[in-house]
Amino acid sequence: MFDIKTDTRKMPIEHHFNPYEMNGGTIVGVAGEDFAVIASDTRLSEGYSILSRENPHLYHVQPHTVMGSVGFHGDSLTFNKTLQIRLRMYEYENNKKCSTPAVAQLISTMLYSRRFFPYYVNTIVAGINNEGQGCIYSYDPVGSYEREVYRAGGSSSALIQPLLDSQLGLKNQGSFELSRSYTVKMSRENVVALVKDVFTAAAERDIYTGDAVFINIITKDGVFTEHFKLRRD
Amino acid sequence: MFLTRSEYDHGVNTFSPEGRLFQVEYAIEAIKLGSTAIGIKTPEGVVLAVEKRVTSSLIIPSTIEKIVEVDSHIACAMSGLIADSKTLIDKARVEAQNHWFNYDEKMSVESVTQAVSDLALAFSDQEDEVYAMSRPFGVALLFAGVDETGPHLYHLEPSGTYIEYEAKAIGSGSEGAQQNLQDIYHKNMTIKEASKHALSILKQVMEEKLNATNIEMCTVSARDKTFHLFTKEEIEDVIKEM
Repeated sequence: MFDIKTDTRKMPIEHHFNPYEMNGGTIVGVAGEDFAVIASDTRLSEGYSILSRENPHLYHVQPHTVMGSVGFHGDSLTFNKTLQIRLRMYEYENNKKCSTPAVAQLISTMLYSRRFFPYYVNTIVAGINNEGQGCIYSYDPVGSYEREVYRAGGSSSALIQPLLDSQLGLKNQGSFELSRSYTVKMSRENVVALVKDVFTAAAERDIYTGDAVFINIITKDGVFTEHFKLRRD
Repeated sequence: MFLTRSEYDHGVNTFSPEGRLFQVEYAIEAIKLGSTAIGIKTPEGVVLAVEKRVTSSLIIPSTIEKIVEVDSHIACAMSGLIADSKTLIDKARVEAQNHWFNYDEKMSVESVTQAVSDLALAFSDQEDEVYAMSRPFGVALLFAGVDETGPHLYHLEPSGTYIEYEAKAIGSGSEGAQQNLQDIYHKNMTIKEASKHALSILKQVMEEKLNATNIEMCTVSARDKTFHLFTKEEIEDVIKEM
């Protein structure tokens, strides 16, 4: 018969191994009528240390598509490389560049394929779709995704998202009508100015966000970049 | 130890000194025994028409299936060893659905054809090698479909070669039918015109008398990008207008 008394000497020794790290970083994406803006800070942290002040979390994956990826930096890098391979194979197999909605679906299935050992990343995809419209897609680490009008991700997401809800979504400001549009009416210049403001605000309170903002403005003519300094403490 | 042809007939993947793969060439010959299939591409879409050989009055003709749907926007007609086509069609369908799953868009007609052509030379008679087939496929396929770049018609043969055509005939009556297609084809044909031409050419090369039960027909229209298999009544209507 089994000896059901607990004998601690016979208990297996548990070993703990945590393969993940949180390296901070914030990303913001906004979809305009004929453009999309995606921005990230350039700080890379580990606890109270700063690993880099000039590491943007944006990856230019296709001519009209940019992916923002924050969380565990190692996973961001590997996920981006794997995505580059998949996109190059797509190009060879289909004789065309991968459209933004196709990149968006691919990222979802790639993240879900690691459902039980996930890439520890928050992802936002920005780009122009086949109709020439700006579009933003946001993801959780295991690939649940949604097309959205604007989205903040990463360490300052909880600070920035409500600000975007107020300034872009005009939430709880009189009209309770649901917006049927996937783009904001705001001009490119105003969106960029707003993005600079929300990052300035976030850098004030979040130690994992700072140093500089790297902004990508995606139009049918390609991707334009802009830099903006943030506090470095 | 010489056999009727040559020792290079032994290994299915052995080149002859002249640089030929006999088994692949014989497979292409096998297509010429098959029933005739015709495809015509027009700006309005693509038409496929095939002959069914109803060799006995006891056969239920609707169970002879030589045009199949690969995805909602791609059709496939075949000639040769129809049983061999099952593996290829299955591959085409799986690839099309996988593409949709991974990219949330319809797969292009060329990409489907390319994916299926990968299987064409995946054969070997080596027992220790895990291949799909022990010999080449004895079937030729016509892929007809509409994608974001418009209507397309591809011909795939057992060698794995695929070529896009404006109009193509395969099978036993293909030689005569191809000549006919060359004579009647023009670039701004309507889909209705193409349907009538396909049937009248089929009528000329068929041994049996053409009727609504011994042929099969489909269109993939450029407007709604959708596969449509003709019903018996719809085929009768085209025959009447011929």
